[in-house]
Amino acid sequence: MGFLHRHRGLTPYLLLAPGIAWLALFFLVPLGFLAYQSLESGSIDFGYAFNWAWGNYWDAIHNYRRQFIRSFEYAGIATVLALVISYPVAYFIAFRGGRWKNLLLLCIVAPFFVTYLIRTLAWGTILSDNGFVVRTLHDLHLLGSDGRLLATSTAVVAGITYNFLPFMALPLYVSLEQIDSRLIEAAEDLYASKLQAFLRVTLPLSLPGVVAGTLLTFIPAAGDFVNAQLLGGTKQHMIGNVIQAKYLELIDYPAAAAMSFVLMAVILILVLAYARAVGTEQLTG
Amino acid sequence: MTDQLTRRQLLERAAIGGAAITFPGILAACGGGGSDASEGTTSVERKLAKTLRMSNWTLYIDVKGKRHPTLEQFEKKTGVHVKYTEDIDGNASFFGKIQPQLQRGQSVDRDIIVMTDNSRYPSLLIDKGWVEKLDKSAIPNMKNLIAQQRHPAWDEDRDYSLPWQSGITGIGYNAKLTDPVKSIDDLLTDPKLKGKVGVLDDYSGTLTLVMLANGDDPGKVTDASFDRAIKKLQKASDSGQIRRFYGNSYKEDFAKGDLAATIAWSGDVAQLQFSNKNLQWDVPTEGGEIWTDNMFIPKGGNVYTASTFMNFVYDPKVAAQIEAYIQYICPVDGAKAAMLKLDPSLSKNRLIFPTKQMLDNVTSLDAKAFNNEKYLTTWNNLISA
Amino acid sequence: MSAVATAARQRPRVGARAWAFTRHHALTVYSALFFLYLLLPIAVVMVFSFNNPSGRTNYTWERFTWDNWIHWDDVPGIRSAIVLSLEIALLASVVATVLGMLIALALVRYGFRGRGTTNLLIFLPLSTPEIVLGASLVTLFLNFNVVFGFWTILIAHIMFCISFAVVTIKARLIGFDRHLEEAAMDLGANEWATFRKVTLPLIAPAIFASLLLCFSISVDDFVVTYFNSGNEVTFPLFVWGSARVGAPPQVNVIGTAIFVVALGAMLINILLQTRRSKGAE
Repeated sequence: MGFLHRHRGLTPYLLLAPGIAWLALFFLVPLGFLAYQSLESGSIDFGYAFNWAWGNYWDAIHNYRRQFIRSFEYAGIATVLALVISYPVAYFIAFRGGRWKNLLLLCIVAPFFVTYLIRTLAWGTILSDNGFVVRTLHDLHLLGSDGRLLATSTAVVAGITYNFLPFMALPLYVSLEQIDSRLIEAAEDLYASKLQAFLRVTLPLSLPGVVAGTLLTFIPAAGDFVNAQLLGGTKQHMIGNVIQAKYLELIDYPAAAAMSFVLMAVILILVLAYARAVGTEQLTG
Repeated sequence: MTDQLTRRQLLERAAIGGAAITFPGILAACGGGGSDASEGTTSVERKLAKTLRMSNWTLYIDVKGKRHPTLEQFEKKTGVHVKYTEDIDGNASFFGKIQPQLQRGQSVDRDIIVMTDNSRYPSLLIDKGWVEKLDKSAIPNMKNLIAQQRHPAWDEDRDYSLPWQSGITGIGYNAKLTDPVKSIDDLLTDPKLKGKVGVLDDYSGTLTLVMLANGDDPGKVTDASFDRAIKKLQKASDSGQIRRFYGNSYKEDFAKGDLAATIAWSGDVAQLQFSNKNLQWDVPTEGGEIWTDNMFIPKGGNVYTASTFMNFVYDPKVAAQIEAYIQYICPVDGAKAAMLKLDPSLSKNRLIFPTKQMLDNVTSLDAKAFNNEKYLTTWNNLISA
Repeated sequence: MSAVATAARQRPRVGARAWAFTRHHALTVYSALFFLYLLLPIAVVMVFSFNNPSGRTNYTWERFTWDNWIHWDDVPGIRSAIVLSLEIALLASVVATVLGMLIALALVRYGFRGRGTTNLLIFLPLSTPEIVLGASLVTLFLNFNVVFGFWTILIAHIMFCISFAVVTIKARLIGFDRHLEEAAMDLGANEWATFRKVTLPLIAPAIFASLLLCFSISVDDFVVTYFNSGNEVTFPLFVWGSARVGAPPQVNVIGTAIFVVALGAMLINILLQTRRSKGAE
């Protein structure tokens, strides 16, 4: 302890050390290999050679522009939906949950225990063309008589939203839970309506949770491939699907690597822009 | 020792049972001739390893409760313990998993792996020298291999591979939702099926069927015939005829009735039929595709032990046990007759024991087309639109 | 105050109360609907866990049976798969949460050189497509001649869970009232005691959320695990693999059983705590 007192400035680095070391070794170093691979060219038959193949990057952007844009669209819509859907529930658990808080949180992550594939197949059963849901929508004329819910972009976005709900709901809850309800009472004592109290006290205080949730949802969703594969039709593939195919079927490792870096770069740019918009204090406190 | 049926025994049983004899079966029986049951040690002294490490697809061997009876029988007979791992999830992904180690000349700690021949991976493995040659002297039962499987284009002399199970890619349709769909052209253009048609994202299966429908020869793919096939599929995809390019999950949509007709594998529909009698399947009129999952010995695997195991599963009685569970198409001649004792109803199921007519009407894709980067890229752009 | 002003304040109050009443219950109703929506597929999975199909595919309801629940591990390999998944998930979530908490504390409470870069670094693993993430990790392990299996899976899981832990716990630390800690230290506690007795309990909800999130991600991961598992088979690997022939009903059993068991354990815990606090009154 005395050591730390004398070297105050060291504390953050000591705190960071174990986690960052882990990430450095098991993420950054592999990422380095990936970067090297992205500048190779060749094929599985004749081998790969490093030759500053920047063309891989250009090809990635040029040939798969449509899938890139589609991925950001789907991820973006899903993130907004997840936020709108989850916020009231996170609020409910934080302020009304009482001793059931942890139980309700467990319910939120429960779908993860049955594996992606099984819960998506279950949705397939529920939303089947001949199932109760679709038939009801037909009867209510909300869906054309030969319309369907599955194998559409709606299904893919709905799937992404559903599968990333916990990533949005949990950070929101975490941030809402710490808000002292006396602050809200104080606002109301000062003649704010419930709505005003929410908008001017609760919402701003929960902003770190909103930012955390949106990032934890949007970023991985952009690279997702499973939802498009299991819920989409013939025109819904995302960039994750293309990268997967490049790696496994075409065995074109440099192309897959380059596409991944393009994806990461765009996501990073979007994140920086987002951080600037909300103010970096929400990102770092 | 090995109890294989002699030609006379086979014909006798056929006469009694009146069951359809498969043409390849007759060929094999004719060629199979006398019994050469001597199990082999030639001049080289070979030793069995203590453990056989086998990787296979999930639920792709006989099961009884928590056990695999045939593996236990092998253990009892040879003293070799089988470490059986079900970690093959797909040809592409499994190749992607073992490729880094094979590339570096490292062993993948497996003696037997099973991969499908209608993908580029088996020929890649052989071309790059990543698989060992079989010890044929340890596999006298190899003569039970049905004739049709003896000389595949990518491994002419069966030096590196031995079939495990086969399947046929054909057309499945739901009799409750549609009239019989017997041709690919119907599948891809009949407006009554719009939006309820399934096509596999399986490069070989789908291309073979569409090329046959175009009147082209899938065994000799040219740029022109490839383009014709892609065009046909593109049209069906753009028009909304095709619901999705499916992987394994077509089974669920087919069972639920979201698909009225789909390209489908024989063994899958055989299973689905148990639960839903409306689901029918047949080889398309223009022809279907036959594919085979093959056993390989990856580099560094114990050749003698692996070969001994292969010999064991080519005993028709053992093959019948495995077949009775997997219910795809057995490559071991004589298994069907042995099956008559285990489960007579299965031996009559033509999705499991196809007729000669079916077997004459199936083919495979040109081996050279599997590794053609241009074709593969065009194909992936089609399904990843 | 004038009478007009008083009356004006009273009218909104009645309306406000009615509005508040609706809103209060609306939130509860909404949340109930949300959980219905969330757990609907789980209910379907559970229903099919009681199905006894004639073939090997479990897509059509045929007849009811307890068999799958009684003989839940009657599929070879399924028991070791789920046990492995649970072990890894437990360990990975704990380690990732601890490491993540330390990073979060550093990022939120200290200004230091490289803070912005570190923040960005945390988001990088999230943005990397799983297939290249898993594959490049394989390259690392091969270069160090590491044997694939339990430890490589665990290392990979901890790696991609850290980011989730950091972001979740940070959401709690931003806006954390440091006065309580200062008060504790004024009263003579050193940093470690303050941390243990003041900070930790206050951020406990975030730690719990982080554990829950990391556990779920780990127990569900497929791609990265597949490449780095060697001969080991985790539950998702088993399930995806079985899709080729059709996942057996035992898969449904295990998936829902985990949830039911965890739910049951929590319920008992809550009831015990309620009993205890009632007894204390």
